[in-house]
Amino acid sequence: MSSVSVSRIAGTVLALTIVIPGCSMAPYTQTPRPATRPLPPPVVDRGVTSPERPAMPAPVVPAPVYPAAPVQREQPPAVVALLDTAEVQANSGDLDAAAVTLERAIRIDSRNPILWHHLAQVRLAEGESVQAEQLATKSNSLAAGNYALQARNWQLIAEARRNRGDEDGARSAERQVRNLKSH
Amino acid sequence: MARRRKRRRKTSRNKKTRRSLWLKLLLVPGLVLAAYLVYLDIQVRHQFDGKRWSLPARVYARPLEIYVGLPLTADQLAAELSALHYRPVRAARQVGDVSRNRNVLHFITRPFVHLDSTDPSRNIRVSIADGAVSRITDGVSGKAISLVRLDPVMVGSFYPSHNEDRVLVKLEEVPPALINALIAVEDRGFYSHRGVAPLAILRALWANVRARGVVQGGSTLTQQLVKNFYLTSERTLTRKLNEAIMALLLEWHYDKDEILEAYLNEVYLGQDGSRAVHGFGLASHFYFERPLAELSDEQFALLVGLVKGPSYYNPRRHPQRARQRRDLVINVMAELELLDPEQATQAKSREPGVSRYQEKAINTFPAFLDMVRRQLRRDYREEDLTSEGLRIFTTLDPQSQWQLEKVLDARLARLEKWQGLPGDTLEGAAVVTSIQGGEVLAVAGGRKPRFAGFNRALDAQRPVGSVIKPAVYLTALEQPERYTLATLLDDTALTYTAPNGDVWAPQNYDREFHDQTPLYNALAHSYNVATARLGLAVGLRQVTGTLKRLGIEQDLPPYPSLALGAVELSPLEVTQMYQTLASGGFRTPLRAIRAVLAADGKPLQRYPLQVKASVQPAAAFLVTTALRYAVRQGTGRALYQALPATLDIAGKTGTTDELRDSWFAGYTGDRLAVVWVGRDDNQPTGLTGSTGALLVWRDLFAQLSDPAPLQSLVEEIEYQRIDPLSGQLAGEGCQDAVELPFIQGTAPQESAPCAYDAGPLQHPVDWFKELFQ
Repeated sequence: MSSVSVSRIAGTVLALTIVIPGCSMAPYTQTPRPATRPLPPPVVDRGVTSPERPAMPAPVVPAPVYPAAPVQREQPPAVVALLDTAEVQANSGDLDAAAVTLERAIRIDSRNPILWHHLAQVRLAEGESVQAEQLATKSNSLAAGNYALQARNWQLIAEARRNRGDEDGARSAERQVRNLKSH
Repeated sequence: MARRRKRRRKTSRNKKTRRSLWLKLLLVPGLVLAAYLVYLDIQVRHQFDGKRWSLPARVYARPLEIYVGLPLTADQLAAELSALHYRPVRAARQVGDVSRNRNVLHFITRPFVHLDSTDPSRNIRVSIADGAVSRITDGVSGKAISLVRLDPVMVGSFYPSHNEDRVLVKLEEVPPALINALIAVEDRGFYSHRGVAPLAILRALWANVRARGVVQGGSTLTQQLVKNFYLTSERTLTRKLNEAIMALLLEWHYDKDEILEAYLNEVYLGQDGSRAVHGFGLASHFYFERPLAELSDEQFALLVGLVKGPSYYNPRRHPQRARQRRDLVINVMAELELLDPEQATQAKSREPGVSRYQEKAINTFPAFLDMVRRQLRRDYREEDLTSEGLRIFTTLDPQSQWQLEKVLDARLARLEKWQGLPGDTLEGAAVVTSIQGGEVLAVAGGRKPRFAGFNRALDAQRPVGSVIKPAVYLTALEQPERYTLATLLDDTALTYTAPNGDVWAPQNYDREFHDQTPLYNALAHSYNVATARLGLAVGLRQVTGTLKRLGIEQDLPPYPSLALGAVELSPLEVTQMYQTLASGGFRTPLRAIRAVLAADGKPLQRYPLQVKASVQPAAAFLVTTALRYAVRQGTGRALYQALPATLDIAGKTGTTDELRDSWFAGYTGDRLAVVWVGRDDNQPTGLTGSTGALLVWRDLFAQLSDPAPLQSLVEEIEYQRIDPLSGQLAGEGCQDAVELPFIQGTAPQESAPCAYDAGPLQHPVDWFKELFQ
């Protein structure tokens, strides 16, 4: 299933990033606008090699369980289905329902940074710039090694800050975007 | 002409005078009567409009989402379906049927209006292997399905003070068979009369004589409905007259369908303890545990038969009587050709199929509902909660709740036996949450789960002891230039003199001191003296600040003993504190409610997932690592006597003076639970955190397989091998080296002496002593 679902995920993520930034340009309206600016690059959990794992420790000491890196893991089909639904809902302007659907997906796969990123996008589109920034920060905390997603989160944070009139904060977030893109 | 006219005028004047006299004589009673009619009219309309919408709020658990990989046993799925009153059958055919073949369950879901969408009925086959869902297919086509959501279990209602309950049905949802049977038996002229039917009384008499029993009553459905508007069942002539007038008025204002719909929802059909069962919708659930749409003809007949006397024909108390009455109704239905003779015979041959009565107190999970109600009271008025028919979607996970209730009481009973305490001496409380979503999955307010008394999970403020310590260590680790997990802490005798002259000299639990010990080890073994020194070193105001950021809202006094937990918190507050830690430093206000919907399904209020970055993720990561050591090597190691080593846990015990309170707070990748054990009279229990609350926690998580990793990778974290005795880098020669995470650039630079010694090792203790010579 992996090849099918991975490409499907890519498609879904691409579609969502097309749709939701469209409405994020107009944060205080519920109606999504068609994207008029160049499409942002698709966010794909491109995966990263896990950090070097030290040799097994002595048996007396508990083996450290290394935290899971967000490597290219299979997205559960249930999460794919919910992302599809969220996309349809966001497309039709029903951001509330899209948020509910994304929360359902987070219950199933709570450490998936892409889901948190999408929830941040929906909140931004709803005009909830503080929550949008917090959710993007949360997404980043789960996206170690995924620089593309981190850059997108910082971009979203910049937009959220600008919406609140925090121009300095927005610029500092944009510097993060540039740093990450040079990775 | 003029004369005539005059005379005429005179005559008419006379007539007028006489008429006005009559009018005057009539006016007073006429006005009184008119006023009375207006009064009745207002009353009848008020009652009718009011009654139609007086609905208790319904509280639902979370709907179970089934997907491949979900940890779930076949028994758990069966229990969930049973709580939803799905019928166990040999082959599932109808909505609400379930059949089970060992680890494969086949069922047909009920349609349900969820928060985000209406899920239609689906024919589903779920296979389970090794404690998880392995396959979901469409029961008809065999096509794979990725996700199925069940309808949520209803876990309670908020009733108005007069304890009436109903499940509102719309006329178009009511099966015609039921309506036909009802009209046939109770009021054949319903569609033609104007509220009162004098002839019906005679007809009823005749029918009763013919049937040699009472099959028909004389009053119309409209009159019966009016009768229900009164709360008493007094039988006087005035009352009968009033009812007749009100019936006429009702018919004048409302059409037949409206009256019938109100009747179907209003009629009194039984008693469930203090709860009055009104309407066919609720009666269907009360007697058959399923919605009206799923009943068969003979079940309709039984319900219709009950109208005449819900107590006299109570099918649970008087099954024979109820059955005779049912058969009588079936005969009437056959007579009017609502059933053909064969159907009637078949219907009569069937058992009534009334479910066994369950004392399901109105609210199944009082402690959880208490929490829901408190949260709602902030946003709604009491009368809206009990009359507007709100639908409240909560976060309750019945699987976790059942498990919690089971293990808490059982474990406390065992602990009492072990401690030689009389039964029911110990009390307990617990809260279980999902970590990332901050959703409250289960709450125990005491060991008797159906008892809606003191809710210890929310209201018991108890000294917390060592469960507070992670806040002290977190405060330190948020200064990575000063503290790492390998930093050696001083666990030598401490005497602290407060500004007022009080002297404080904390002791370790084992009454010994441990000299220099790495920070992670001091937390894992819960060394009091090292922690007290650390608290003083980082600053107690810093520690109270950390506790605030973790989600403790009350102001805590910055006394030195705070670092050792000499403060009182409720289990829920402790849970909030650990939620922030467990979720990598993001605080999510714990939620018991997802959303509130109006009776018509319109969303009124959402309680969305909210997060707030409150603690540096890297520092939270380090504390979680130390808490892993606490349960692998330290005070919490009793956990792994009964849990698989593969289940990764971080946790902390807490014990208070003279063993009065026993705490355990612990989390896996997905779930967090905080358990308190103690006594309501605050006497010693003889239990430490490890011998009391920890065991409850262990029992609770024994059934759990948690595939989520405990920690997520944090970019600025790197691992180093450390020699625990020196807190320095370990080389090949070092025994018992540990692999510890560090924030990049903060790992020790020096190598431990053992690292240079590839030959036979020095005895570590000797080496340790040398260090201090």
